[in-house]
Amino acid sequence: MSQLFLRRVVAVWFAAIYALIGLPLWYKLTTIYRAPLPGEYVSSLRENMHADVHVVVPVYVRSDTYKFPDIHRAIQAQADALLRSKPSTIDWSLQVMPAEKNQTLDLESDYVLTLVLDDFTGYAIPYDSKETVVFFDDTAVLSNDVPFFAAQTLIEHTFAAEWTHFSGSTSVQDENTLDIDSEMVISYSPTMHLSLSLLTGDGRPVAWDIESTLNQYFTPLRRFLSPLVNFTVDTSILPFNDLNLGSLHDVQDPSWQDLAHSVDLSELSSINHYREKNVVNLAIVFPSPEAGQLAFINATQDRPWQSFMVPQWGALVVNKEALPDNARITQDYLAPVIYSFACELFQFLGLSSEKADLSTPYTTIDSFKRIMTLKNLEQGVETLWSLVKLTNQFPQMSVPKRVLADVERAVELRLQAVELINDPKQGNEAIWNEALRLSNDFVQVCERAFFHKEMVQQNFFPQEHKIAVYLPLLGPISVIIFTGLIKALREKHGDDAEDHLNGKKSLKFDSDKPLQSEDTS
Amino acid sequence: MRLITYLTTIVVLCVLQVVRADPAHTNNWAVLVCTSRFWFNYRHMANTLSMYRTVKRLGIPDSRIILMLSDDVACNSRNLFPGSVFNNQDRALDLYGESVEVDYKGYEVTVENFIRLLTDRWGEEQPKSKRLLTDENSNIFIYMTGHGGADFLKFQDAEEIASHDIADAFAQMHEKKRYNEIFFMIDTCQANSMYSKFYSPNVLAVGSSRLDESSYSHHSDVEVGVAVIDRFTYYTLDFMENIEKNSSLSLQDLFDSYTFEKVHSHVGVRTDLYHRDPSKVLVTDFFGSVKHIVKDMHDQDNDFQAVLKDHDGTDGYTDHIVNLALSKNERNPVESSKAVSVGLATLRRSERSVVTFDKSKGKAKWSAVVPISILLGLLVLTLSTQSQNNLSSRTATAHSF
Repeated sequence: MSQLFLRRVVAVWFAAIYALIGLPLWYKLTTIYRAPLPGEYVSSLRENMHADVHVVVPVYVRSDTYKFPDIHRAIQAQADALLRSKPSTIDWSLQVMPAEKNQTLDLESDYVLTLVLDDFTGYAIPYDSKETVVFFDDTAVLSNDVPFFAAQTLIEHTFAAEWTHFSGSTSVQDENTLDIDSEMVISYSPTMHLSLSLLTGDGRPVAWDIESTLNQYFTPLRRFLSPLVNFTVDTSILPFNDLNLGSLHDVQDPSWQDLAHSVDLSELSSINHYREKNVVNLAIVFPSPEAGQLAFINATQDRPWQSFMVPQWGALVVNKEALPDNARITQDYLAPVIYSFACELFQFLGLSSEKADLSTPYTTIDSFKRIMTLKNLEQGVETLWSLVKLTNQFPQMSVPKRVLADVERAVELRLQAVELINDPKQGNEAIWNEALRLSNDFVQVCERAFFHKEMVQQNFFPQEHKIAVYLPLLGPISVIIFTGLIKALREKHGDDAEDHLNGKKSLKFDSDKPLQSEDTS
Repeated sequence: MRLITYLTTIVVLCVLQVVRADPAHTNNWAVLVCTSRFWFNYRHMANTLSMYRTVKRLGIPDSRIILMLSDDVACNSRNLFPGSVFNNQDRALDLYGESVEVDYKGYEVTVENFIRLLTDRWGEEQPKSKRLLTDENSNIFIYMTGHGGADFLKFQDAEEIASHDIADAFAQMHEKKRYNEIFFMIDTCQANSMYSKFYSPNVLAVGSSRLDESSYSHHSDVEVGVAVIDRFTYYTLDFMENIEKNSSLSLQDLFDSYTFEKVHSHVGVRTDLYHRDPSKVLVTDFFGSVKHIVKDMHDQDNDFQAVLKDHDGTDGYTDHIVNLALSKNERNPVESSKAVSVGLATLRRSERSVVTFDKSKGKAKWSAVVPISILLGLLVLTLSTQSQNNLSSRTATAHSF
């Protein structure tokens, strides 16, 4: 094997290792990892939003006076026809079932339709249950109108919120107390913080029986709402802070602008201190004695305060008079405040509105659960779609494996929630609570995927910087390997032979040298 | 003269009628960024702190202001007025004096952190106070100052942010509905190039100078020894000092107040992405925090009647949501007893956490180990005695030779 051949082989090997191992390795180690997200699936979910959802709510029918053996089928047919009359954004229907003789129905958990013979036709929905009572007379029975009355009552009154939100009906706006798009509403979150503050315009000592009041009146409400929202509560007393209301003490009828421009809520807007995403505030404000009476407060003999609402923030209970010395605010004062705040809290949650009070809490809360569950599903899919869209838009953005795992988990959660919603045999309160919980988890996992820490786009790391980092390392290696390869390939055999001879000569010459030196020595 | 007065009054009244607060947004946020380090960039810190003071004065709470200051000139050893920062040579206003909450300081002010802030991509360790927790109802005012060039802004003398980066961050914010409107203001050299690449909707931008044009400082303070404010920011503040929470001045009024004679550079405004006419947008839509405060119209006297005085709830029951919750709580005492306070919570017995010692196993081990070790010991002893015997016999043979 000639030396030239050997040199060429070595140079080719170096170049081959550089190209076949070095380059792929470098590429592999420096490539931004992008996990393959299920883009097409997410895209189809978004395009056919709620295509696989069909909300089914079971309703049990019972009749006290007459026995109608097939009334449930007739009501079912009427209800289906009524629902079909409007194009719905989300498929939904009622599953009308007869109440068996020995079946125990929980009126707080199951929807029950009770048919009662009376002198007139009408309906009633009790305040403290999910029962719908339809009154009918003999004429209605003769003309076979009972099924239609029952179906209409159920859809347009008991399920007014679904009728509005899912079927887009505007005919029952007054019945529908849910106003989730109102300016007042704090965006829904399964956990919420309630911050209660007592503000006084001066620094004189003050005490309040807030703990006992909350334990007695608010804790049951908190428990009542716990399937929907979990509240954490804190209380505080802030002296020397009347929210600058003292500046309005002589104004008789301030406009909302006057109030908005004077009231300073900045000290109470400390959302950062709580772990929960959303905070609702209740501030009870007493002016300082120096500021005197607040003329614009429309107080009565029983009620020394007036309540104001700040959209997406909370309620202000403003007192007309300043507190006396060494005051202790008792439960007698605080209980009505809590009662009033409870009504406002329902407005902040979107469960009631300014124009419609909460007249049927059980059915409204249940409808709210259904609507929020579907809104959550929609929101989560939108987040997933945004994620997929952005990863396609920014090729430099890394997509870690954790994001893929979260997306897969999210899709799984969605399917679980949809399965619960679609099942006609399951429709009691516990199932809707579970569906809402799953949909909340779905939103949370989608958000976690979207806001993953490592997905900060690498575009702000300019290409010049990459060259500046790699060039000092790769430049010299590349130059040596490739110029060496070119040199080896350009050398000819003649040169090699000549070199060989020269080599021999030089060897001979070199070998002579020591001899000469020996001689001289 | 009277005619002019009347006309002016009519025009003002018309403006008052037309310029109304935007109902779509319910909260305002401010992101104020100073990207320059070192004492000689004192003015950039002063610019940012002046803006901080203004937005705070107009009602944006500290929890909704993100302040990024890349250096601490107030505590710089060259500062003749330690703990103070001034933006005017009369030193009438100490910008650092009262409760300044700096969210990102020193080397925390990086391009990466700024992008993370806008896109809200943080680890779980990031506190809420250092995050931009905006939503689709938020109006965001973003102010940046420092040393810029064509399509870039220098951060900390170490890195740059490009106009594309901010544009892409805005795109991500828009995609996730993290803003209603953005008002972007930048005071650097060649500032207008920084907003040229924006492509997301509802972004209004204003910059201090054109491409290839410098942005200048306003004046120096002899005792501080360096320039204390930039011209563009100076005249912005000059305008803002006339704004109160109930002001009806519009953003167009602000833009009209900039002239070449004042700023010494061409101020640029980009409105093509913005759907509203700036002359109909109140300055307080971005710089203030106007809360709609409405009287609660529900029947509060009913609440008084509904309050249950006796605890069994039988006397004078009125339909009220609190009463409903109370009665439900009364009916289901089991549920309520489930809610145990944290202090009384019992520890769950976990199978894994129970540590048991299997004595029989231990005994078995001992019973096996002891005889084996005795046997091994005996074996070793026997072998060693044997080898010693062999050795001694060999030595004896050697001696015999």
